Amino acid sequence: MQQGSVSRRGFVKTASALAAAPMIVPSHVLGQRAGAVAPSDKIVAAGIGIGNRGNHDLRALISFGQVRFVAICDVRNERREEVKSVIDQKYGNRDCAMYDDQYELLARQDIDAVLIATGDRWHTPLSIIAAQHGKDVYCEKPCSMSIEESWALADAFRRYGRIYQAGCQRRNGGNNCLATELVETGRLGKLHTVVANAGPWVNWPPLPSHNWLAAEPEPPKAVVDWERWLGPCPWRPYNSAYVRGGWRNFYDFHGGGILEWGSHTVDLCQWAAKKDDTQPVEYVPEGGNTGPYAVHCKFADGLKLEIVDEGWDGRLKLGACTIRYEGENGWVETGDTGKIECSDNLRPFLRPVTEAKLALAYHMQDWLECIKSRKQPRASAANAANSHITCHAAFIAFQLGRKLTWNPAKQEFVNDDEANRLRFRAHREPWRV
Amino acid sequence: MQAAKRPSPDTAPPEFQAARLMKLDSAALVAILKNPGSTEFEKAKACQRLASVGGKDAVPALAALLTDPKMSHYGRYGLEPNPDPSAGDALRAALPKVKGGLLVGVINSLGARKDEQAVAPLTKLLAGADTEVAKAAAAALGQISGLSAAKALQGALGKAQGPLRAAVADGCLLCAEGLLAKGQRSEALALYDALTRPDIPKPARLAAMQAITAAEISLSRPR
Repeated sequence: MQQGSVSRRGFVKTASALAAAPMIVPSHVLGQRAGAVAPSDKIVAAGIGIGNRGNHDLRALISFGQVRFVAICDVRNERREEVKSVIDQKYGNRDCAMYDDQYELLARQDIDAVLIATGDRWHTPLSIIAAQHGKDVYCEKPCSMSIEESWALADAFRRYGRIYQAGCQRRNGGNNCLATELVETGRLGKLHTVVANAGPWVNWPPLPSHNWLAAEPEPPKAVVDWERWLGPCPWRPYNSAYVRGGWRNFYDFHGGGILEWGSHTVDLCQWAAKKDDTQPVEYVPEGGNTGPYAVHCKFADGLKLEIVDEGWDGRLKLGACTIRYEGENGWVETGDTGKIECSDNLRPFLRPVTEAKLALAYHMQDWLECIKSRKQPRASAANAANSHITCHAAFIAFQLGRKLTWNPAKQEFVNDDEANRLRFRAHREPWRV
Repeated sequence: MQAAKRPSPDTAPPEFQAARLMKLDSAALVAILKNPGSTEFEKAKACQRLASVGGKDAVPALAALLTDPKMSHYGRYGLEPNPDPSAGDALRAALPKVKGGLLVGVINSLGARKDEQAVAPLTKLLAGADTEVAKAAAAALGQISGLSAAKALQGALGKAQGPLRAAVADGCLLCAEGLLAKGQRSEALALYDALTRPDIPKPARLAAMQAITAAEISLSRPR
């Protein structure tokens, strides 16, 4: 990990304003001791909506010496207090500030970067607002609720020259890196099929529900701000189950199993296949909402992308979020256990890799290094947008239950008005993207 | 790894179950909206379904909801992606009928639709007293883009203060991108140039400088 190599604020200003080559000042020139980080080189970070998953991200983030975490924003009082407690304990003070309004947090000029781990519905709007305030962003996945949001996200980060890392941490997992390397180095021969495990139907059916839960009395705004929790989503009556994490599998808040895991596995497939700048042109759904399902996709050059529910551990029991790459000369498959299976001819090319569970730390490191270098991280906004558009297109095909043809250049479905309308979800006022 | 908890939508009470509603055709959905006895839930789901299947015939019933504080967003949900021009007409007609948050929502929908006919009323709202409405108008004008929108935004840039100035600057960035996409390069660069003043919020100023550099490099002669 390169630390303290450049005065961050001076560098950001130069790079963003002039789009010039980075001015690297080696740390020894600055007279720093090995491992020490000058206060001016610290990345000042804050968090918005840190819950269960966000806690993993937060702990990974604050494990880096160059990060100083200073503030938390959440619509839930108890969550604000929990995060403040963790941070204050780490730094041995009471300095972590708490906010319930993201604009107050984002207005702070001393904050460089923001970790966003809210529910999916907030990911794109908050990321864009953060970019407009000049912040770099690490945002949990899925990064968008629609095809329209995916475009808006990528456009905003390009426009403002901010660094965005999607929470697609498996791109920095040793097992997935080696699988991708086998593709890139031609060991598999010409790639013909990539397989992305989709979220199992028993956990996340491909078609989320349009139901509402029974109305419960709204808690005081200081405890849970329900209006702000809903944010850009259509209004519905309060029920505590949503707020306690039960929002998944409701259409207004969630993209079903395809987005839940596809945002990882489809993303990995497009990365390995060098399709980070496009989407498949054909989507054929198969199955229903109460059993294994699939969407069979095809890129313009004939490469097949199979989005398939193969169960929690995948076909070969390699763990969650499995992917498989198949070429003319062999195949490779891996998942969250970190184990890699492959055709016999590829075994000589396997080697020990870092543990899969370290992917998050490496992914966070990738983001922090890119904040300093102003290079694009592995799961940039543009890369995430492209793989998420694929997932949304597959989701729309599944909703409509028919084959769809997609034009990546025009970003529209061919001759299907109903499908094209599903590219959008109108945001509740005052939110927009 | 443990499997996640089982989802809970199945526990919805009968009055909040949507499966039947989400299969109805446009005529049946419009009938729900017109029926005074329909529940809030039924109307909400009708609007969401009409977003993908509603035609011109659905527009009046959806438009009637725009002034209803509880249902206005659902009305927009149905209208916003409707390609029929009457949907844009209905949203524009609602502008003088709503205020505050509902007006912000209608403006946002016009921006999302890139409704060029909305430029004139949005220009007036940009100069209004309600800052949140003016911010929404700035964003919508940016999304719609074009020379008239650019003129309105550039004019507002010199007058706006505080958060509104930031919103106008963000609208200018969007608008300039639209102009570049349409080949109106000099007009786009003029708009970017207006954003390089030191009193423009830093994120927008840096974005404009970056865009100017990119636009200039794109025309550089090969060496």
